[in-house]
Amino acid sequence: MPIHDQSYRRYAGSRNEPGSAWLVITKAGIRSLLGRKLFLAVMLAAWGQFFVRAVIFYLSANFPTLDVLAPSVETFRQFFEMQEIFVLFVTVYVGSGLIANDRRSNALQIYLSKPLSRTEYVAGKLGILAFFLLMVTLVPALALLLLEVMFSASLAFLSEHLFLLPAVTLYALAEVLLASFTMLALSSLSTSARYTAVLYAGVLFFTGAVFAILRGATRSSMLAWLSLRANLDQIGDVIFRLPPRFESPWPASVLVVLLLMGLSVVVLDRRVRGVEVVT
Amino acid sequence: MSSPHGSPPPPSTPVRPSFAASVSRIYNLSFGQMLWSRRTVFMVLVVGGPVAVALILRMLVSMDLLDAGGVIDGRPVTIDGPVIFGLMIWGFYLSFSVPLLGVFYGTSLIADEVEDKTITYLFTRPLPRGAVLIGKYLAYLVCAGLLVLPSVMLVFFVVMPLLGGSIGAGFPDLLKDLALLAVGLAVYGALFALVGALFKRSLLTGLVFVFGWEPIVVVLPGYMKRFTVSYYLQGLVPHAMPQDGTVTGLVLQVLQANEILPSATVSLIGLGAILAGGLGLAVWLVQRREYVLEQ
Repeated sequence: MPIHDQSYRRYAGSRNEPGSAWLVITKAGIRSLLGRKLFLAVMLAAWGQFFVRAVIFYLSANFPTLDVLAPSVETFRQFFEMQEIFVLFVTVYVGSGLIANDRRSNALQIYLSKPLSRTEYVAGKLGILAFFLLMVTLVPALALLLLEVMFSASLAFLSEHLFLLPAVTLYALAEVLLASFTMLALSSLSTSARYTAVLYAGVLFFTGAVFAILRGATRSSMLAWLSLRANLDQIGDVIFRLPPRFESPWPASVLVVLLLMGLSVVVLDRRVRGVEVVT
Repeated sequence: MSSPHGSPPPPSTPVRPSFAASVSRIYNLSFGQMLWSRRTVFMVLVVGGPVAVALILRMLVSMDLLDAGGVIDGRPVTIDGPVIFGLMIWGFYLSFSVPLLGVFYGTSLIADEVEDKTITYLFTRPLPRGAVLIGKYLAYLVCAGLLVLPSVMLVFFVVMPLLGGSIGAGFPDLLKDLALLAVGLAVYGALFALVGALFKRSLLTGLVFVFGWEPIVVVLPGYMKRFTVSYYLQGLVPHAMPQDGTVTGLVLQVLQANEILPSATVSLIGLGAILAGGLGLAVWLVQRREYVLEQ
């Protein structure tokens, strides 16, 4: 009598729907990052502004003399502006090694030898970064909106500015997707997370410096589309129905953002491959 | 094999190189690695960008698309070569290139060896550990200086003659700017060498310091701004900056009126203290710290 039957047997395990494997990568990445104390400290600091503004909302809602602190559309626009620095830190911390570390340890080949497509791999990595970026942009902004309603015990502000809900969501998505795609593309170009991180910060601040110099020299902000951050600022003003801060046309900023995301997709398509064919 | 007297020769005692010789050896090794690496591409981009912008500005002036007079916020301002050069020193080099290169190279002096698991090979040689750090630091300084300073000179010669500026009149300012940037590279490098030796996630710490802490704290009232490098560096810039009747002159007047800028003496003392303290502490840490490599 055989101790163990080694003949062919059909696979008896469960099968996942095709196209859902990216979720495994995202879940594992999120779980891994949540276990790091330094990262949790960064996330906590990123929520600092939310707590401060929550106190201000409470005071303005409960003390009529502090009416000057009452929230407005500008409050939510400023909230996103002040979160930009944390978007940078989270992008650098989470995103710089997402693909670079896999390339460094030759894990990409192992990933892609599994029933996992390249799109799913990129989507999984993108999900990790996007999740944490939304946690410092969209989630606190929506929570602030909710707090305003709760503290004032009235839907007046929300009904008066109903566009804030889609505006907050749209701007947060634009910011998060731009940061995620560009960082992932840069991460796929290198095997060093450190190099990728500095490259991202360099691109961000260099384009800003170029715009600042040209603005000073030409005394015009027509070249705002040159700066990654200025593009987002310009788009943000339009989304929040505020007067655009730069003279450059806002569709130019939208076009630049879309081009950057498109370029990132092309880079990812070329760089994320299981086997590199050298000709 | 025996000596003519029948006894074996005494074993030769290995000669331990002096600290200076050790520094020199590490410097020679690291300089070549730094100069001919992928990072140099990054450095060339960082320092080549301002040159490209300077060329674009020159082109705009030659095509009469840029003139000297203008109005900003209702105030008449004069823009000429020295003003644009001053803007570029502030905007590109002092606020961006120098801190970024300091963070990138300073934090990687030790961190890269740890990450690549090659620090063991360096530390098992008969060299003082401190010499490893100092040698690498000097290699960074020379490498960064060799790229940044020529870039500034190129920008100077392209931009200075624009819109009535004079190369001769601005030359003393160029020398001051070159010295200032060299000091900036040295101080930022020393500070981030310490950060690299101290923290595991040194790059993030460096980026938080340069792009988070410094821009916020430097405009706060009180003593907080004294815990930044940019505060002391900015105290030395006005000598090279154009004054009255210009955009930067107005900015400087506001900053000085609010005591946001320190005097030159205070700046030099502050920068010297950060340089000596940062490098000294980094050497002390590297000599005592046990680096456990991840398997």
